[in-house]
Amino acid sequence: MAKLQRGESECELEKGVRVSVVMSDSSEDEGPEEVAFEESRSAALKSEEEKLQAAKREKELLKEKRRKRQQFFQEQKKKRLLSDTLLEEFDTVPQKQKKLSDDRDEEKDKKQQKLTKSKKKKASRSLQGNCSVMRLKDESADSSMQQSAMDFIQARLYGSGTLRTTNAELLSLEKKRGVKKGAAVQFVNKKWGAEQKAKAEKSNKRFIHRQKLVTT
Amino acid sequence: MGEFKVHRVRFFDYMPSAIRALAFQPQREKIAVARTSGSVEIFNCADRFFQEKIIPGREQAATEALAWVGDRLFSAGLNGVISEYDLENQKVKYTIDAFGGPIWTIASNQQGTHLAVGCEDGTVKLFEVCEGKIQFEKNLAKQKGRILSLSWHPSGSRIVAGMMDMIRVFNTETGQSVHRLLVERGIGASRSVECVVWGVVYLSDGTIISGDSSGKVKIWDDLTGTLIKSHQVTKWDVLALSVSQDETSVVAGTSEGTVVQFQFLSVVLGQEDKEWVQTRIFKNHTHDVRTVLELGTAVVSGGMDTQFVVRPLLDKIEERGPECVLRKIQFPHRSLVSCAKKAGLLLFQYPGHLELWRLGESDGHGASGSVLPVKRKPEKLLHLKIKGEEHICCSAVSPCGEWIAYSTVASFRLYRLHCDNNNVSITKVSKLPKVLSSANQICFSSDSSKLFAASTCSSVHVVSLSQTVHKFVCTLKPKSGSVQAVHLLAASEDGKWLASANSDREVQIYNLTKMKLHSTVPVYNSGVTAMAIHPTTNNLFMVHADQQVFEYSIEEKKYTDWSRQVQRNGLHYLWLARDTPVTNVTFNPKNPTHIILHDAYMFCIIDQTLPLPDSSSQFYNQLTLRSLPEKDRTKHSHAFKMCKTFKELMFVELMEDQSLVAVERPLVEIAAQLPAPVRQKKFAT
Repeated sequence: MAKLQRGESECELEKGVRVSVVMSDSSEDEGPEEVAFEESRSAALKSEEEKLQAAKREKELLKEKRRKRQQFFQEQKKKRLLSDTLLEEFDTVPQKQKKLSDDRDEEKDKKQQKLTKSKKKKASRSLQGNCSVMRLKDESADSSMQQSAMDFIQARLYGSGTLRTTNAELLSLEKKRGVKKGAAVQFVNKKWGAEQKAKAEKSNKRFIHRQKLVTT
Repeated sequence: MGEFKVHRVRFFDYMPSAIRALAFQPQREKIAVARTSGSVEIFNCADRFFQEKIIPGREQAATEALAWVGDRLFSAGLNGVISEYDLENQKVKYTIDAFGGPIWTIASNQQGTHLAVGCEDGTVKLFEVCEGKIQFEKNLAKQKGRILSLSWHPSGSRIVAGMMDMIRVFNTETGQSVHRLLVERGIGASRSVECVVWGVVYLSDGTIISGDSSGKVKIWDDLTGTLIKSHQVTKWDVLALSVSQDETSVVAGTSEGTVVQFQFLSVVLGQEDKEWVQTRIFKNHTHDVRTVLELGTAVVSGGMDTQFVVRPLLDKIEERGPECVLRKIQFPHRSLVSCAKKAGLLLFQYPGHLELWRLGESDGHGASGSVLPVKRKPEKLLHLKIKGEEHICCSAVSPCGEWIAYSTVASFRLYRLHCDNNNVSITKVSKLPKVLSSANQICFSSDSSKLFAASTCSSVHVVSLSQTVHKFVCTLKPKSGSVQAVHLLAASEDGKWLASANSDREVQIYNLTKMKLHSTVPVYNSGVTAMAIHPTTNNLFMVHADQQVFEYSIEEKKYTDWSRQVQRNGLHYLWLARDTPVTNVTFNPKNPTHIILHDAYMFCIIDQTLPLPDSSSQFYNQLTLRSLPEKDRTKHSHAFKMCKTFKELMFVELMEDQSLVAVERPLVEIAAQLPAPVRQKKFAT
């Protein structure tokens, strides 16, 4: 009775086929249904097969995924490498060079130069992006590092956030607080205030023009 | 005395470069100063801070730090190379690439065996100091972040490195970081910016003192790796730290131009426990102070306002003397201007080029002190740019104005100048004798027929100049075999004698007719700052860095009577108390007893016929003499006639037409071109 109440139990093929009894909720008084041996056997076999197939399908799916990924990576790799046509050209050029080695030296050199030039031209034409060839001797990496170090110091001492004023202000304050009081340096020394005077001139001219004070 | 028309020249735009690093050598009491132009100057502390040597810089130089190892001087810069200097010949001996990117700091250990450099890539590299070279030994553990300051522990077993936002203590044997001390960022807006530890100092008892960009001086204990005390010194950055030899005083230089001193004192009198207490503040600079040195008896500081300031600590000095004076050295102790007396031309030496100007003319007459109308304005005849990256070491123009010569560390150039009234043309002399590869000092003979070039080992090369061929005549060498360089040359008016002064305090006099050494002036323990040979009497007049004045008779090979009298009498205390050295001596052909000399703040005519001043008489007596009637003047006048009308003088010379040239460089003009100072809010402004 307890086994029957547990419901369907897993069947094990090795142990043999047990008779599975289906309990229906509606009738408890009726006796158990009689299920034929063949039916239950086929049901069990079917379920086994289904499981196998499910596993196979899963494997297939995984395979597919892996295959797709592999293809994708291959395509990526292909994109990075140069095109096949270029590779063919590269293959032909050394052959050509081999041929020329039989000729005289001068001609060989000239042609080699031409070929290397053409090779370079072709290479530069097909390289992607803006690339240029530079010798390491001509421009050292140090100058850029030196420049960035100097920019760092400049930014820390004189950059934004540091409270700095001008030399004109410093000297004018000294004159104001000094023993012998004097005017600000912009007014005393003509060179100092030249910019401000020019600005003042311009704004005066603009004002006059706007107000149309000058009668034409 | 005489009336002179004075050409007041202000068109020499001399611009010094900012001081970036200082290093002190205790054995010979020398201070090496590195400027942002790449030049290195050596000042002698014992000799009134006389600027003994100048090693010229180069374009694109970015020297960041200096270090002495015994007698050898090393520097490191943002170009990533460590250079050793040849101090005798005043040039760079060799450079070695550290391969760590820009180098921010260099420090030598107390034993003098190793050099440590802090690089941009975060490594501290140790170099072993060998005979004649340095060799890379090892890298300490690489850090993430640039190393901005280094300090060795006096025992040499540990190094402390100041980086961004932290300080690391390394063990030099294992190379591993022992402690990491985290530095707090500033408050408010500066919290978002990294805190840069600009200076660190390692004391022998294990205390580490650091100065950072938040304006704090922090004191750490290296045993536990913790902060002991933090002092907020300024609102801006603390840029430099230095500790005295006896480790009782530390000075910190700040961005606002102040130098703050901390001393190791006991807070309560009588008690034993001492701590670091902020004691004094010195405000001697207007712009950032990038480097300080604590000498024990003085605090030396330098920064962006290009002044070299020596502030004596009077509580450490025992006797009153010339060391008790606050010194601000603004101008170089050598003349950058040379003058063609007969042609009325001035040659200005800039680091990268030369300028030749013709003086203006004026016809008018006026009372003393009045400004005369200018008939013809001064004009710039020549702007000669040098090729190459090196800066000019020395330059000269011949008295007739036809030859210009200059020398850098690597090359020597001579030019022939053709000057019609309106056209100026210059031709380079191409075939020079091979001995003239570079010179420390150049001088022309008075008739412009010979060129004297001072070279290595105090030797002087003599080259004869002519229209076509320039022949090497001979090399004049001193007997003593000194290896130091000559910094002054003086030729006599009649072309017979040549005097040379070198850094070993030797003054040699050569006979030019026989082309050999004539005599040597007795050695005086102060360096010669200016000298000249009198045109008629052939007496060599020398002024030294301690303001002593000597006159040596060349033909008789002994000091003159006047000179002995000056020494017996002693010079007036106001003359000896002047703090800038005399840089030029010249004579008046019409008055053979007059000697004209100048320093940065005065020019003076010494009259050898008048009596010498004694200490009771008034020294600056020109104005009082003018107010007296003519008869009384002779009673009160003395030999030293000082004039303080012209300030910030770089050069004073008497031309052939009896007019004086005074080249001034107002400090306000220099201040106008300095970088920006910090903004300080002062009361009532």
